[in-house]
Amino acid sequence: MIARGRMTACVRNPPTRILVLGFVATLWSAYAAGGEPVGDATRGAVVAQACAVCHGKLGEGNFPLGYPRLAGQTENYLRKQLEDFVTGRRSNPLMDAITRMYNEQQRADAAAYYASRSAPYAPAGAPADPRLLARGRLLVRTGDEARQLQACANCHGPDGSGEDFAGPCLVGQSATYVVNVLNEWKSGARNNDGGRQMQVVATRLDEKDAAAVAAYAESLGHAK
Amino acid sequence: MPQKLKETDVVIIGVGMTGSIIAKELAAAGYKVVGLERGQPRFTVPDFQSPSVHDELRFDVRKALMQDNTREAVTFRNNSSQTALPIRRWESFLPGTGLGGSHVHWNGQTYRFQANDFELASRTRQRYGAKFLDPDISIQDWGVTYAELEPHYDRFEYLLGTSGKAGNLNGQIQPGGDPFESPRSRGYPTPPMKEHFQGATFRKAATSLGYHPFPQPSSNLSQPYTNPEGVKLNACVFCGFCERYACEHYAKAVPQTIILPVLMRNPNFELRTGCQVQRINLDSTRRKATGVTYIDAAGREFEQPASLVVTTSFALNNVRMLLLSGIGARYDPSTGKGVVGRNYAYQTMSTVASFFGEDFIVNPFMASGASGTLINDFAGDNFDHGGLGFIGGAFIGAVNTNGRPIQYHPVPPGTPAWGKGWKQAVVAHYNHTIMLSLHGSSVSQKQNYLDLDPTYKDAWGQPLLRMTFDFPKNDLRMAEYVTARGVEIGRATGAKQVAGNPRKGPYTITQYQTTHNTGGTIMGSDPKTSVVNKYLQSWSVSNVFVVGASNFPQNASWNPTGTIGALTYWAIDAMKNRYFRNPGPLVSA
Amino acid sequence: MTEQITRRSFFKTVGSATAVPVALGTPLLAIADATAVEPGDARAPPAAAAATSAPAPAAADTEAPLYLFFNAEEAAFIEAACERLIPADETGPGALEAWVPNYLDKQLGGAWGAGERLYRSGPWQAGTPSQGYQLPFTPAELFHTALRAINLHFASTGKTFAQGTAEEQDAYLKSLETGGADLDGVPSGVFFDSLLKMTIEGYFSDPVYGGNRNMAAWKMIGFPGAYANYYDAIDRHGVKFERAPMSIGEDRHGHVHVDPNIPASL
Repeated sequence: MIARGRMTACVRNPPTRILVLGFVATLWSAYAAGGEPVGDATRGAVVAQACAVCHGKLGEGNFPLGYPRLAGQTENYLRKQLEDFVTGRRSNPLMDAITRMYNEQQRADAAAYYASRSAPYAPAGAPADPRLLARGRLLVRTGDEARQLQACANCHGPDGSGEDFAGPCLVGQSATYVVNVLNEWKSGARNNDGGRQMQVVATRLDEKDAAAVAAYAESLGHAK
Repeated sequence: MPQKLKETDVVIIGVGMTGSIIAKELAAAGYKVVGLERGQPRFTVPDFQSPSVHDELRFDVRKALMQDNTREAVTFRNNSSQTALPIRRWESFLPGTGLGGSHVHWNGQTYRFQANDFELASRTRQRYGAKFLDPDISIQDWGVTYAELEPHYDRFEYLLGTSGKAGNLNGQIQPGGDPFESPRSRGYPTPPMKEHFQGATFRKAATSLGYHPFPQPSSNLSQPYTNPEGVKLNACVFCGFCERYACEHYAKAVPQTIILPVLMRNPNFELRTGCQVQRINLDSTRRKATGVTYIDAAGREFEQPASLVVTTSFALNNVRMLLLSGIGARYDPSTGKGVVGRNYAYQTMSTVASFFGEDFIVNPFMASGASGTLINDFAGDNFDHGGLGFIGGAFIGAVNTNGRPIQYHPVPPGTPAWGKGWKQAVVAHYNHTIMLSLHGSSVSQKQNYLDLDPTYKDAWGQPLLRMTFDFPKNDLRMAEYVTARGVEIGRATGAKQVAGNPRKGPYTITQYQTTHNTGGTIMGSDPKTSVVNKYLQSWSVSNVFVVGASNFPQNASWNPTGTIGALTYWAIDAMKNRYFRNPGPLVSA
Repeated sequence: MTEQITRRSFFKTVGSATAVPVALGTPLLAIADATAVEPGDARAPPAAAAATSAPAPAAADTEAPLYLFFNAEEAAFIEAACERLIPADETGPGALEAWVPNYLDKQLGGAWGAGERLYRSGPWQAGTPSQGYQLPFTPAELFHTALRAINLHFASTGKTFAQGTAEEQDAYLKSLETGGADLDGVPSGVFFDSLLKMTIEGYFSDPVYGGNRNMAAWKMIGFPGAYANYYDAIDRHGVKFERAPMSIGEDRHGHVHVDPNIPASL
């Protein structure tokens, strides 16, 4: 059953089955000897009960606090982030401790669970400045030659709706979270991507452009 | 009547890779430079952005970035007994156009030729004897040595940020690099690209046979880089849309990502696009250029006076420009006299396909334009040709760049061309095949040449370039030999079926075989057998320089761009430090 | 907007082994939304995204391609011929299910058919095989001329190409391929090669052009399409890449907006 419409714009083709056993090597660190665990969404629902306290009952996130939306996020992105928190490739004081409370199977299950979720988007707050949204839309869809910024969509999918194994879904994501994360990429506090793409991008986004991209991303949760 | 414009110091015909670099250097040295480009300006944003740029039909099949052949084509025949006919659709070679030229849509494969290549004629005679070559072969020494070009190769590679592993550092062979390469003064500016599964499989097989695999030098970069001009590039993401496409990520070294930002800021430089240069104008002595005549996009004719004219419009167009301008004596194969148009050569391409079972997953679509693994054990003169009956060779490698399905769907020999059998073979082999490329050298021979067509014209009423070319028998013998070596490597991978496909004659323009057209304005030490001297200055008209693969007296086993880049910096050095100090012939005839 | 037609039901409508005529307008395939609205393309002006309501129940495709270039007779031949060139079978869709005839129709009726990227000056001579295509025909002229001759031929036999058995159709196509007939100035081999080339294009090109419907051909071979960042995935040697294919024309909801008029220039 493919969910459509504004409920889960991120996941155009969510896995309707568990991952095939083709993954015999980890993507992001040392190759696992015995093969990676296959994520199971039903088991993941149980793990997710603990995530809900910050990420919302349905994985919709907590936008005032900048806790990201997880519902409908691309599955392999979620898996990678959880693994990176455990190995230290990515660090956040809350997530470092929490992810280590679960084993690899449980983390894979949680990722599968959230990838398959629909959740309503946070209600629109005060409308963003239309010029800011227009700038954000330009950067997401086209880029800016003067700043040597390519379109976000190249790696994040159409309108930033996610490209599994490459860029996560940004549609309807918390603008606060997006700005925070861009600052982490800029400062080097976060550097767990391939080829240092995000560090380069974040360095070239000034404060206004970061806000523009973030505002546009969040606004897509409410747009048709 | 053409409108006569204010005189400038330098006119550059064609603002591609070579033209951009020369323009930047001369403008920076204080000269007023006008760059005339027939195509349109274009930039990474918005013109190269995906997803629209990842369109195989548009860019691969329909050649959207290539020279507008509806207005300007090339005519072709295999030999002088035939009538040349227009190449009505580009296939075999794909000339570029537009700001940045074909350097926008190249594959990023960046090689150096070897020392032997620059003295091919004398060293071949020395090693194998004067009688070793077929009598029609007309290879020549370049008039310049590898040692003279080495610092310029280095400079070019650092401009691009080329990713690779040195094999010979100042005479010391380096493990993991190409042991056959001629000595480099320093390593590559960025580390080698990641190896894909095909490359890794090839590496194991080649090593098992005692060969020396190494990573393909790539100007799609392995990591973010800031070049000596201060221009920044990003890391390549292996999207598999490299050759024939423009890069959306700022990761391919193209003029827009390596030098144009600097050039465009210099007020000494003026770019004019949509300008079709008709000819280089000469004074009444015919030994001095006065400038160029061009027609703009609105059809208006202009005369641009200049002290120095540099033609950097791609090999074929360079030759045509000299022929249309009457610079240098036209080559006539029936007499052997004349120089402009002689020694046209190409590339001799063969393939080996290795077919595996369905549990062997290749993912061909994950690749960069130059992220392969190859060997030079059978390239150039790296092996003893005694008794083999040919000179030259090929690099052999798993250098596949894509899995774009309209054009890439390998099937074993004997598969029907359509129907259920075809379809089932496509499904069985698409993700389970490794293609090896054998990228072979091309000797020049007396019968292969370029001149002006007597019948067909371009949209401006000027004769098209006529190409008379067929594969020298030498090169077909070479192709058979290297393909047999490639098949052995294919077998050593453990494939279920290996099919070698050596190049066979006659040469056809209906199948893609690289855009490595070389020769026609060759460099040399003797004005009777070359068009430009060692500094790429015309022997006939001393204020005309010609830079590009048209300078090559014959083609070697590797892609030409690295060598064109080296020649570019070499010529710039001669212009700045010799020519401008004392305009006139730099080499006495 | 998922196709509900199963292979079995499809075969009932268009039997490859049984001679069921494929008449224009037969509801072979149905789609809920075929309008061409510009997606979020880097160079397109901002356009209203197609409004999507709550997830529709998976409805059967109810429309067939609307042919603008081919007349009914031509379309009947093209549909049947393409389906023999790339037939439906257990490995994947055939040309019909992939809307390949629609691709041909739109390309031949557009700039490409009119001679985009073709050097068209005379004089014309046959040339050698090495010299490639040397006819004055644009692709549109080539197809109309050849199809006229082909349909005249079948009219004289009393049976259309589409009415033949699969074996008869294959035999006729082979005769076009190698038989050297003159189709009113078009050598049959030239026509056949163009037809086969465009059929493969229509099958494997991005669905933005109106073929490769639902990216079924890409799914069949595992080609991921126009969004392609494999920096991490390329390290997974020998591991199948499991991501649904993505089209140039798709918006953030996964709808593919068709636009056959993309020029063959930048």
